[in-house]
Amino acid sequence: MSPRGASKATDMTDTPAIQLNGLTRRMGNQQVLRGVDLEVAPARLVVLRGGNGAGKTTLLKVLATRLRPTSGSARLFGFDVLKEQAEVRARMGMLSVMGGSYPVLSAHENLSMAADMTGKDRQQVGALLERVGLAEAAHKYVRTFSSGMKKRLGLARLMLVDPPLWLLDEPYAALDDAGKQLVDEVVSQARARGRTLLMASHESDRDALTPDAVLQLHDGRLRRAPEEAP
Amino acid sequence: MSDLHVVLAVARKDLLHELRSRAATVATLFFSAVTLVMMAFALGREQHVLTLAAPGVLWVALTFAGVIAAAQNFQADLEEGAFEQLLLYPVPRAAIFLGKLLANWTYLTALGLLLTPVAIVLYSVQAGAGAWYVIPAALVLGTFGLATIATFYAGLTANLQAREALLPVLMFPIIVPVLLGAVRATEAVLGRSELDLAGGWLQMLAGFDLVYFVVCTALFHFVVDE
Repeated sequence: MSPRGASKATDMTDTPAIQLNGLTRRMGNQQVLRGVDLEVAPARLVVLRGGNGAGKTTLLKVLATRLRPTSGSARLFGFDVLKEQAEVRARMGMLSVMGGSYPVLSAHENLSMAADMTGKDRQQVGALLERVGLAEAAHKYVRTFSSGMKKRLGLARLMLVDPPLWLLDEPYAALDDAGKQLVDEVVSQARARGRTLLMASHESDRDALTPDAVLQLHDGRLRRAPEEAP
Repeated sequence: MSDLHVVLAVARKDLLHELRSRAATVATLFFSAVTLVMMAFALGREQHVLTLAAPGVLWVALTFAGVIAAAQNFQADLEEGAFEQLLLYPVPRAAIFLGKLLANWTYLTALGLLLTPVAIVLYSVQAGAGAWYVIPAALVLGTFGLATIATFYAGLTANLQAREALLPVLMFPIIVPVLLGAVRATEAVLGRSELDLAGGWLQMLAGFDLVYFVVCTALFHFVVDE
């Protein structure tokens, strides 16, 4: 089946937050994405599953304008990821697996940099670091952080920027139980504020989340996962 | 958020990073000092040879330092995916380039101001009339050209496995006019006082700087985006 049903009937008149048509992406000799079709209405939470190397990160990077589609099209809020990159970047943010922080800057300086880059208020930085449990480590260099702390910092950055579309690549990876609960809370709150979220995750039973759709990426194609939430 | 704020934020971050890690500082200072000393020994004791060689040795040392500094600048960003994160922000690629250029230029100019008196003393060169303003002008213009090209090509090769080998191979042929202008302008006021000659070389240097600046700024998004 086509995973286009990720949108709800009541929002069919809205511009989709994500619209993919026949999206393909080749990496070297390997066809990673093979004609992906997807439509996600605004303010939805969609979980993307798939084994290692299934193409989840590749798909997120295409949406984030970091990889070009080989063929097909991808639009975010009506903007083409190839031709209207500035508009796309202004509407999305991504939590990457690597964290994306500068190791020789402190957590506070990293978030302040993000505020400078996005025109957000630096005053929020302290409160956000407290929210993600990094208040005591705010002025320590990121190179001294554990993987989980780096993930929390990446989450704080996304909360600071708070874009209309959140792309989350394995947000639970490297986190302890409290950290996973934090991700659940932050995701739920973002969703309640009307943000659209596309989450690539191996975590299959996060009870706190009730996604609008759970999709499986397999052999470069998207389909609904058997354990899809109602 | 204006583009100028983005430029300054990127430059401030790069300089702060270097100030704390000293990754480029240690390598470039050591390399430049060794180059100056080794060449002084290699050239022998004849004063006219040392006087002739001093500007060239100084600028070759600065050029290699520029390669190391620019490569190190991008390498630091690639750790932990920070450069990828930078590219996800809704800011122009040109502003990111200009921020990195500003940081590299500041660093190279400071290094040049440090190395020039060392070269003058080590090579026993007499500074001619006008040297007090021609040499700083040559340093500012020469390091600007070096930093522009080094930043551009360091971005181009940052994700390649053989970046250490490729960066100088790609960069050095392009940098010849900048190197020539900077060496000749410096040469014109070290050991002699040919101010007209120095002025001509400085004008040529400024012209090449402008061309490289415009081209590299305009093309940087092709370097960092697929």
